[in-house]
Amino acid sequence: MASRSLVVFRRELKSYFLSPIAYVFGVLFLTVLLFLSAQSTLVHNAQASMQAFFLYLPWIYLVFLPGLTMRLWAEERKLGTIELLLTFPVQPGQVVLGKFLAVMAYLAFVLLLTFGLPLTLSAYGSVDWPPVLGAYLASLLFAGSFVAVGMFWSSLTKDQIVALLASVVSLAVLFLLGYPSLIEFFGANLPPIVADALNGVSPFKYFQSIARGVFDTRDFVYFACFCGFFLYCNVLVLRVRRDSKG
Amino acid sequence: MLSPLIRRSARERGQALALTLHVVLLLLVLGQVVYLASRFRARVDMTSDALWTSTTSTRSVLAKLEKRLLIEAYFSPKDDLPLNMRGSRDWADNFLDEVTQLGNGSVVVQRYDPNSDKAVADKATRLGVTPLNLSSRSATSLSVDQHWQGLRLVYGGSRQEVVASFLPGSSFAAEAILTPKIKEVMVGEKGRFGYMEWPVAAPQSRTPSGVGWAACRSNEGLKKRYEFQNVKDEDGALLPDDLETLFLFRPKDLSDRQKYVLDQFVVSGGTLVVFADAAEYSVGPQRRMRNRPMSIDAQGSELAFVDMLRHYGVEWRPRLVCDVDARAYTSKIPQEYIGLQVRQRTGLAMNVPVPYPYFLHPVNEDWALLADQFAVDATGQVDARKAAQLRKTLQPGMPADDFLFQAFRRLNRGPGFYWPTWVGLARRAGGGLALPAGVDGRVLLWSSPRSLVEDPPQVLDPIGQDPRQWAGKSQQFLAERIARLRAEPRRQAPLMCEVKGRFTSFFAGRDRPRRPSEVAEAKERAPDKADVVAAGDEPAAAGPEEAEVGPQLAEDSVPAAMADERAMITESDRPGRIVMVGDATFLRDDLISGGMRQQGGPFSAYGLVFFAQMLDWLSEDRDLVALQTRVPTDRTLRFVEDDATAQTDPRDAEQALRSKTRGLVTWNVLVPSLLLAVCGAALWVWRRNQKRAFLASLQA
Repeated sequence: MASRSLVVFRRELKSYFLSPIAYVFGVLFLTVLLFLSAQSTLVHNAQASMQAFFLYLPWIYLVFLPGLTMRLWAEERKLGTIELLLTFPVQPGQVVLGKFLAVMAYLAFVLLLTFGLPLTLSAYGSVDWPPVLGAYLASLLFAGSFVAVGMFWSSLTKDQIVALLASVVSLAVLFLLGYPSLIEFFGANLPPIVADALNGVSPFKYFQSIARGVFDTRDFVYFACFCGFFLYCNVLVLRVRRDSKG
Repeated sequence: MLSPLIRRSARERGQALALTLHVVLLLLVLGQVVYLASRFRARVDMTSDALWTSTTSTRSVLAKLEKRLLIEAYFSPKDDLPLNMRGSRDWADNFLDEVTQLGNGSVVVQRYDPNSDKAVADKATRLGVTPLNLSSRSATSLSVDQHWQGLRLVYGGSRQEVVASFLPGSSFAAEAILTPKIKEVMVGEKGRFGYMEWPVAAPQSRTPSGVGWAACRSNEGLKKRYEFQNVKDEDGALLPDDLETLFLFRPKDLSDRQKYVLDQFVVSGGTLVVFADAAEYSVGPQRRMRNRPMSIDAQGSELAFVDMLRHYGVEWRPRLVCDVDARAYTSKIPQEYIGLQVRQRTGLAMNVPVPYPYFLHPVNEDWALLADQFAVDATGQVDARKAAQLRKTLQPGMPADDFLFQAFRRLNRGPGFYWPTWVGLARRAGGGLALPAGVDGRVLLWSSPRSLVEDPPQVLDPIGQDPRQWAGKSQQFLAERIARLRAEPRRQAPLMCEVKGRFTSFFAGRDRPRRPSEVAEAKERAPDKADVVAAGDEPAAAGPEEAEVGPQLAEDSVPAAMADERAMITESDRPGRIVMVGDATFLRDDLISGGMRQQGGPFSAYGLVFFAQMLDWLSEDRDLVALQTRVPTDRTLRFVEDDATAQTDPRDAEQALRSKTRGLVTWNVLVPSLLLAVCGAALWVWRRNQKRAFLASLQA
């Protein structure tokens, strides 16, 4: 299982780095993110903190990640390569996992390029590294949840624009459900159990929890379940499609 | 688009239904897993300052909850708060959540919005929750908005505490505010302490009785848990039997009767805590630091307080300790020192603390490990023999693991003392300890080995009165001490000690000193007695000098005033304890309340913390000890050195700072993006060349 996923993973990752999309996406993503966060992070006499960077990151993800995931299945379907892929001796689960890991590896690479910022901070102040590294991990997990949702939508349609819009809307809803102002609004207007359930669905809450430097098993379990659920739905869609073709 | 899923055949409809159920069930199972994970969770706080972890204090206080603790949070909506206050709300919310979790069901937080309901607002006001009235301005109007962020704590439905305004600036602050409040609301019985104080007659003080030590005793937080009773009786009555701990704040002019009262208290098993000064230096706006006359023993007293302490095993040398080691007096906490306003080239006036080795801290340093530094001879070489000897004799400055000093561990230094005195254990001429049988003792605080001990000089002014000479005078003042130190052997001065055990009375074998009322009664009887004596040709009665104070010969008849006084206890039947601190000034009202600071004098930043810690230590209440140790690490970014900006023209400095910041921002934004772009371009060129080569090979 793992070796076949690895084959898909390599193929996908290679395709990223051999196509201009990875570079265009990467350059835009880094420029916007670093431009915004460097303005509020690199300030004389401020605290050496990456708080601003991790504050902007979810919003940048919300805008950029659906663009990255929209093509994952939709393009395969549009080009007709999905049928070919499904005839290979690999399970849909292995394909999904391979593709997912490839996107994550690519995102990890892009995030690695932002490491200059905390290094600059540490040159001029005292950076608390464990929470910063924790926040990077949280960012990756958070991105993973967005990628899983984006992949799911991409698997349902062959139109990349539809996949993009569906991803943006659903991710925005999920994201905002964990936003403090909305939590307060729900808390004031809904029964507590409903407000808690809605708040508990959003990955934003768990991202914030890890990003502040606290590793909580609850957060990791949540991200594992969230990603697992959408990846599994993705697998189901592929299976149904394969079975219907067969 | 969704055709495979919604094909209309019955078989496929069944498959779709099964699939939907499958997904829903999976969702339910995963939801349950997440719910269980949030109930049974393990968390690790990765921040080096443990920003998100409650201290053992909060845990221990909450573990002792026997009844339900209801926390009513009167919070107006976060969105209505000004931006600069939202961070405070986050800290408050976060800590309340944590308290609820740690309470294991015993803590319930109920939230109310006073802005949405007038009845709630009225109730909050009645309880003492204070709203913040902040003005907000729009294009057309100016309005004042009320923002609420206060708490009411109700324990067991009866006792309550109110936090009028709960505006923490960090998780530390949230805990430091709320945990003591929870402790206060839980406490049923207060710890009781007696005290005697001898206020300083400050010439500029508006207080007729002088400056005393009321501020530390009347601190709101401490008053909730401890009560203090003034037991200084002018008639020298013995202390109540149920009093366990007695504080003496700067004892002076002690009569023999007062010493007897203290002796009987200690011999009866009481704990005597002495904050002792050897001199009274004035600070004030003139900062002349002149020594005012002060005597420890009252005029006519025949027994010295110093001798009495030595009898118990405490050696108090009423001489000043001056610590020339920079670690002991350097102004890490500038407000503890005299600040002089110095105008910099930038035009800004800065308060520069004056280094003053008579204001010193015991440093949390194992001095024995640094013995080589103190064994350097005139040629700059380490004298190995001397170093070996110092390694054996030098002591750590502060037992940081001791409960009493845990609050100071993060500071890496003990409380700041002002003109402290030598307070150690009694020693024989040969150097060995001379503690009485059955008594143990230990020194708790030591100065550095670069200490001088001297009789209190008349003037200790480090700067003089001419502002143009301040810097020079200050350097000279310090240089003189360092020069003296070179001529003296390296030694540490003990600054605080503790002895405990079964003490024998200092007055054993002596006559019991009489109370002033007894003396007065004796005076009244004197004429009658004189008549009797005259008739029998006996010597005359004692003169008035003798009758004032001092041990007296036993009277033939017992005066009425002492009829109900118990007989002298000469040997202890239960262990007593003496804790002696070589400074009382650091707790004085004007130093801990900031009054002295307003006059250009110092501010005892950690005096109150030490006193609070000492009360907990004496009553063995460890609950709040961990709260005091929390100090966040300074993580301030400095792109240019402040000294550098001070040296240059402010416009140049500003320009340099801007340029540096701009450079860093540009570097951080452009370099990663360009790196990726260059990689992409290189790849594109490589691919293009590959393609060309391939096409060329086809053509060939």
